[in-house]
Amino acid sequence: MSDADVRWERTRNLLLWLAIPLILGLLAASAVPQPVIGVIRLEDAIYTYSAQNTIKQIQYAIDHAEVRAVVLVIDSPGGTVVDTESIYMELTRLREKKPVVTVVNGMSASGGYYLSVNTDYIFSKSSSLVGNIGVIGYLPPSPFVVEDIITTGPYKLWGAPRDSDMRQVDMMRQGFFEAVKLGRGDKLTAEDGVIFSGQIWSGMDAIKLGIVDAFGTETDGAKKAAEFAKVANYQILDLAEPAGVEAFGGFFFMEGADGIILPYPKEAGFYMLYIPLLPVKQ
Amino acid sequence: MKRPYLYIAILALLLPALLRGLWFYRGFPAQRPEIATPDYASFVRPEAAVSTPDLDNIDQFGGTVVLDGYHGNQFALNEIDTLTSAIQARGGKMEIVIDALSLEAQLKTASAFITISPSLIFSQYETQLLKSFTERGGRVLVFTDATRFFLSYDFISGNPIAIGDANAANTLLKLWDISVNNDYLYNTVKNEGNFRNVLFNDFAKSELTFGLSEVALYGSRSVESASGQILLQGAETNLSSADDAHDPNAGGAAVSEDGNVVVFGDFTFLSAPYSTYTDNATLIQNLADFALSGERAVNLNNFPYLFQEKTVQVFVSPDLQKAPSLVAALGSLQSSMRLLNYKLEFVDEAPKSGDTIIIGTFDVTDEYDSYLKKADVEIDFDVINTTQFGEVSRSGNALVIFDANQKGNTLVLAANSSEDLLVLLSSLGYGSLGSCLTSDQVAVCSVGIDDFYSDESFSDPSQESPEGSTEPTPEVTPTPSG
Repeated sequence: MSDADVRWERTRNLLLWLAIPLILGLLAASAVPQPVIGVIRLEDAIYTYSAQNTIKQIQYAIDHAEVRAVVLVIDSPGGTVVDTESIYMELTRLREKKPVVTVVNGMSASGGYYLSVNTDYIFSKSSSLVGNIGVIGYLPPSPFVVEDIITTGPYKLWGAPRDSDMRQVDMMRQGFFEAVKLGRGDKLTAEDGVIFSGQIWSGMDAIKLGIVDAFGTETDGAKKAAEFAKVANYQILDLAEPAGVEAFGGFFFMEGADGIILPYPKEAGFYMLYIPLLPVKQ
Repeated sequence: MKRPYLYIAILALLLPALLRGLWFYRGFPAQRPEIATPDYASFVRPEAAVSTPDLDNIDQFGGTVVLDGYHGNQFALNEIDTLTSAIQARGGKMEIVIDALSLEAQLKTASAFITISPSLIFSQYETQLLKSFTERGGRVLVFTDATRFFLSYDFISGNPIAIGDANAANTLLKLWDISVNNDYLYNTVKNEGNFRNVLFNDFAKSELTFGLSEVALYGSRSVESASGQILLQGAETNLSSADDAHDPNAGGAAVSEDGNVVVFGDFTFLSAPYSTYTDNATLIQNLADFALSGERAVNLNNFPYLFQEKTVQVFVSPDLQKAPSLVAALGSLQSSMRLLNYKLEFVDEAPKSGDTIIIGTFDVTDEYDSYLKKADVEIDFDVINTTQFGEVSRSGNALVIFDANQKGNTLVLAANSSEDLLVLLSSLGYGSLGSCLTSDQVAVCSVGIDDFYSDESFSDPSQESPEGSTEPTPEVTPTPSG
């Protein structure tokens, strides 16, 4: 063999046994996905549209393997009981597969907190408002009959006796309290009477009561989520766009005659909602 | 020779993925724990025990209950149907009072006064009327409610102000040393379906708590009384919204020291269906008994509602000639009494029993002498001696004496002359003792000008005998007759 042949043989072997596998390896390595920390933002009251949008993002996170963990960014006073529970149940499905960390921005009250307790860790700001655990129900009027409306039963028009609604609210309360106990468990440091009094706390108080775990930002939330998922060098991805979230839903709050949005829901019903009342003296 | 190349190839093939994997993934995440969620199906709907009161043995007390309708009362009549029905079942009736003057008149025949969630304060005149009413055995029932208020607005800031009923109720209740707190009671541990529906199972011994084992109030203010009794006391987990603490000296209801005033922090329990829960129905029956069963002492303050029977016998002293003017005056009296549902029956002899009116002059006192003695009144030549008012001129004044006993109630109307009697009968026909000095038993009424008027005619015993005189000072201001 000439020297040229030897060189070619070496080059060929190098190509055959190293370069080509390396190229192939590099190509194959690209199939190892960069982990994604998905961000789901719930920055609205919880009602039909906001719940649907949140659930879409949760489903995206469940369906996409690269999403290794989720940061749920909450700034919500809560909303309807049924929509809150819908998100809560989807969150449970997500948590069975992937860790979820809550980051509270302005507020995680009532239904917002109901969702927070179904996550692995809760960050808040020191001035965030957290808590307001409980249910609000609007009792229907005492039934009466209307000349021009024919119904087939005494409560067809009114839904339920006033008293019955009160008792249903209590069952919803039991669900909420149970969810908080299951979600926070031994982390809660105060008595039930305090935790379930309906108070809303600043983050500073909330952390002492075990309502939240730590102060932190979305970055801290992503880091914590990555820690739970044991990933690094991750990509943070707002899941709204890939999940096809619609930008606009509908109005949840009542609008005053002067166009001012009031903190009250438009419709009567059952709510896990924080309603900041106007300053009323007695 | 080939094997090392093979190893290199495999390494080259796997290394990038391995490095990339190590770059992104720092181990295998722990297996996800089972996520526990509430077992919604296991939650129990809280239901209240329903009790039925014993309606077979209801005492027919009769009587009238006056319902306050002019203190900005925040309730609808149908909300107290159960109490109204219980009162009616006992032969009682409910009347609404719409102003203070009517209150004075209506209290004269009433067994009880009820005010529910008042938002307007009680005037001193009204509170004195009601105080006097309870001193005569009348009953006062005050119901407040933490859920009732209306919004007013601060004139300067525009901020809303909730006007509740505690302040207005307290203007009345201070006379009996009872106060309603501007709070609500709650219990997050054991309640009737909601934290604001508070259970009570510790009762003071009272006719109002007879047969109760547990009652529930729905949005109740706390009530306290230093001298009276707390009727409804609950567990230590019953807290006040004012300080989130339990106050053993406050409860859901209180009764005054004299037992004639009862105050509740709530009236929602009077409405169906809440009226049927726990022992609330029994409590409502007890309240109806309480409202109608006060031992009322009838006296001249009740004028003209002085009689128990529908028929009142009238005896006119034989020395009075039934001249046309007297007949007209008696007829006028008869008409007035008929409007009050009394039937006058004129008799020739002074009756020994039954409700009676005796009409006579100061000259012939045989028929009513016993009543004069009972009232400690002496009629002399020119003066009338009364313990209540001292000496008053016989001329120009008439005497009204009331006596109530088991045989019947008797009203004596006497004057110096038949002319004075005419004036007395005419003024009484208006149903008022407004121009009279009045005590419980005796009234002295001006019926004309004193023929022999002099400073001595009306003498003040205390002025006459300053040392050690036991005669009371004449009362120149007529006593409110409510």
